[in-house]
Amino acid sequence: MRNRTVTSDVETRVERFRQMTDGQLVNRRTFLNVLGVLGVSAGVFRMTPALAQGREIVLVNWGGDAVTAMTEAFAEPFMQADPDHTVYVEGAGPSSGAIKSMVESGAVTWDVADRNIPASLELGRQCLLEEIDYTIVDRSKVRPEHAGQWGVGSYIFSNVICWDTKAFPDWEPTGWADFWNLADYPGTRTLRRHIDGQLEAALMADGVAPADIYPIDVDRALAKIAEIKENTIFWGSGSESQQLFRDREVVMGNMFNTRASVVRRESDAEIEFTYAQGIVWPGAWIVMKGNPAGSAVFDLIASMQDPAAQVVLFELLGNGPVNPEAAAMVPEALKPLDPGSPENYAKQIPADAEWYAENSAEVLNRYIEAIS
Amino acid sequence: MSGAALPAAPALPRMDRTQLIVWAMALLPIVVLCVFYFYPLMRVLTISVTEPEFGLGNYRDIFTSSAVRRVVQTTLWICVVSSVVSLFFGYLLAYAIVHAAPSWQSWMLLAVLLSFWVSVLIRTFSWIALLQTRGLVNETLQVIGLIDEPIRFIRNPFGVILGMVHYMIPYAVLPLMANMRTIDTRYVPAARGLGASPFGAFWRVFLPLSLPGLISASILVFIFSIGFYITPALLGGGRSTMVAEYIALQVNETLAWGQGTALASSMLILVFAMLVVLGRIVKFRTMFGAA
Repeated sequence: MRNRTVTSDVETRVERFRQMTDGQLVNRRTFLNVLGVLGVSAGVFRMTPALAQGREIVLVNWGGDAVTAMTEAFAEPFMQADPDHTVYVEGAGPSSGAIKSMVESGAVTWDVADRNIPASLELGRQCLLEEIDYTIVDRSKVRPEHAGQWGVGSYIFSNVICWDTKAFPDWEPTGWADFWNLADYPGTRTLRRHIDGQLEAALMADGVAPADIYPIDVDRALAKIAEIKENTIFWGSGSESQQLFRDREVVMGNMFNTRASVVRRESDAEIEFTYAQGIVWPGAWIVMKGNPAGSAVFDLIASMQDPAAQVVLFELLGNGPVNPEAAAMVPEALKPLDPGSPENYAKQIPADAEWYAENSAEVLNRYIEAIS
Repeated sequence: MSGAALPAAPALPRMDRTQLIVWAMALLPIVVLCVFYFYPLMRVLTISVTEPEFGLGNYRDIFTSSAVRRVVQTTLWICVVSSVVSLFFGYLLAYAIVHAAPSWQSWMLLAVLLSFWVSVLIRTFSWIALLQTRGLVNETLQVIGLIDEPIRFIRNPFGVILGMVHYMIPYAVLPLMANMRTIDTRYVPAARGLGASPFGAFWRVFLPLSLPGLISASILVFIFSIGFYITPALLGGGRSTMVAEYIALQVNETLAWGQGTALASSMLILVFAMLVVLGRIVKFRTMFGAA
């Protein structure tokens, strides 16, 4: 008898909490986070449809400036057009591990994540993602190679050569061969502690023609990286790569154009970067399997295809617009910084998504071994 | 209905009631541990033998993968060096504290504990601020003309070892102090009186007596060292990948959860094995000076 009283007491409290949450006292995300912290699956509470299907859409990216920038460029215009939905931009970092644990435990709190096309293939093949609904998302607003089964192009970014003009006045690298040339251009380098865009750079430095990079000759690339590893700091996060330049720890680096453009702006172009032999990546929106907002997330993705919104993001963060229509809308003064502009695109090589989806995991371990 | 099964409280003898209260108080921590610690730990162990397929393949791969071998080698040499250095400085500190005037002892201990209480992340960033190319130390050395080019203190194995030693010294000092306090302070003067040199008296009398403390401190420090994650990641310049970071890579990036959890489980087993050895040498209660 006592047990029954206890159970009904809990039910009453949950019922009250449910009413409170419906009344917007606590938003769904906070509620789910609280449950997550308590280790309770959201399903336990059989939430009312209004709560479960969500008027909220959670977009997760890699944090820092990207949270405010994506809120301004994407979330606010969407909410103005569709007042029924609230978009939250969260900077928790949608790593593959976080996505896998979220989807497999059935406690999905994210709807759409800021990743890239190769990752969309890798994760999609493991049944962790929803397929992109091209009845809502417009295929014609991206280049064909950016309309994937589980990911649709969000913006364009590049691995570029960044250098300190104080160390090398009146000079500009012509490609990765200069980066590897420690004799003529001495000083510490920085490469990413990840293979994306690093192996390609090594091969180009070793004389492989840009057209012949893929499939990547991993042994050759790792041997080339081993040549300079003693003089190289390997960065982990994008902000670390920026800090290395701000602190003048390094004179040349392989970093993202987005991060490089911010350091360039801060330093009045004392830190400069070039798209010569850059490696271009298609960023992509991916949707978690069983995402709480359901198909409403595709309305958000479709609205983020708007070229004007993409230009706003470019101006704030340096992420190149993925919608080809947007290129013309970029202000003249900023065009040299756009990784997707026709001139810059032609100087670079596009990353091969299929190669990464197939080889990334195994080669990453070999890379860590090679640089250790 | 289940409530009726409980015996009436006043009928209990006094001793049993005390025990009941103790158990009731212990219940919450036990439940919390089971739910938030043992259950996830069991899942980790399970994944290591079920992903990608059932069996011990992941454990076999630990021995066949050259990347794992490389990471284990890096971990071992960094841990051995940083443990030895920590023990050396820890021994000096413990010796100094135990032999200092009583009024000084508590201040010296406080100094050790102060660094013990500061978060590892803050300490690591402090080292970066001090020792980077344009950090305080390099700038000062350049201004006073001792060096022309900045010295690379961090973002290399030296930086990792420095950060780890800084963290681990208190873990060496505390058990060593507890042990040295039990050594009769008249032994060394007695040895000197019998004609031993100062070093001889230390080497042949004090050191052997402090050996149990030294062994327990070394095991404790080594156990701590193998789990380091933040310090190598921030001070190692990306090239000193240790086991903990490699596990994180498998879990977050390559999604080789079977491999990652197998490594995590192996580390856990290694640590337990060392704790068993430690438990045979010294009682845990006495290690941190509990009476």
